[in-house]
Amino acid sequence: MSFIKELSKGIIKDNPIFVLVLGMCPTLAVTTSVVNALGMGLAATFVLICSNIIISLIKNITPSKIRIPVYIVVIAAFVSIVDMVMSAYLPALHKSLGLFIPLIVVNCIILGRAEAFASKNNVFLSIADAIGMGLGFTLSLSVVATIREILGAGTWLGMRVVASNYDPMLIAILAPGAFITLGFLMALMNMLKEKK
Amino acid sequence: MKYYIKLALILFIFCAVASGILAYVNTLTASVIAERKAQEEISTREELIPGAVFTEAKTADGTSYFVANNPETKEVLGYSFISEEIGYSSTLRTMVGVDKDFNVLAIRVIDQAETPGLGANCVLESFTHQFTGMNKDNLKVDKDGGAVKSLSGATITSRAIANSIRNSILAVQSELATGVSQ
Repeated sequence: MSFIKELSKGIIKDNPIFVLVLGMCPTLAVTTSVVNALGMGLAATFVLICSNIIISLIKNITPSKIRIPVYIVVIAAFVSIVDMVMSAYLPALHKSLGLFIPLIVVNCIILGRAEAFASKNNVFLSIADAIGMGLGFTLSLSVVATIREILGAGTWLGMRVVASNYDPMLIAILAPGAFITLGFLMALMNMLKEKK
Repeated sequence: MKYYIKLALILFIFCAVASGILAYVNTLTASVIAERKAQEEISTREELIPGAVFTEAKTADGTSYFVANNPETKEVLGYSFISEEIGYSSTLRTMVGVDKDFNVLAIRVIDQAETPGLGANCVLESFTHQFTGMNKDNLKVDKDGGAVKSLSGATITSRAIANSIRNSILAVQSELATGVSQ
């Protein structure tokens, strides 16, 4: 029961981007195209699941005063390993996701979930939390990227969706476009929440 | 006091274990990665100048370039080299193939981490194919009076690529002119 509950909360109720406002750095940087958003989302989900498992396993041997540096060491080491192994044995995957792997280290969702959830719950629930948060993150990134890619390039997932004589709104794929899109989407989320 | 030393010690153990694992994984993967990179360079080079045999040569300042020969007649078909220049947010590495008169046959951007959606589009065919047929005189972005149609208004990535290729061409050309390298 609680597995499903922990899993589903990440998607709407505790959505990492629109509600918790975590991981803004990658959100602003990679949402220029839907392909990038999916790549970042899935790579982050994978790392999040693994880091939540490890953090949850070592929670009893970690003194609470130094837990944050310990988590950072664990996450950074883990991300580097993923990067190296992927580069060596899965070159095709590394080519498309490689750019996002180093960015994951600075993704505060990973550290945020380690601190807020995995350090207090068992492995089983931590996995549920990681999957839910990861999916919520991927979904939100895709929504932001969809808007930005259609406005800024006239394409979706690389396919042309608006008439070819459309002059793209370049600002949408530049940094200000990310802030504007994010702002409108957050306002929309808050509006929907208040109505309930 | 003792307590804090204990904390530092625990953190130290965590770091030591993590570094140990990292070092181990690195020794396992480093050679595989290096070999794969080298393989990739070879296959890219063959795509740029198809059907040629490559021999490595070095310029006076130590950068290497490749002479492409026809496998049967041994006649020089062209040259291949990697041009490097700092772009907006990364070092751009472009592999270039030129014919024996130093007209560009094809280029491939092999390493970059430019702005997604803007400079990063330099890897796309739609950007790279325009270089075919260019030479050292028009290898400049349109803003600088050249023939390269830039990716965005700021032209940083496009200019870096165009200039790096032009510089490499000049370097290899002057090297050949002096006749030192054989």
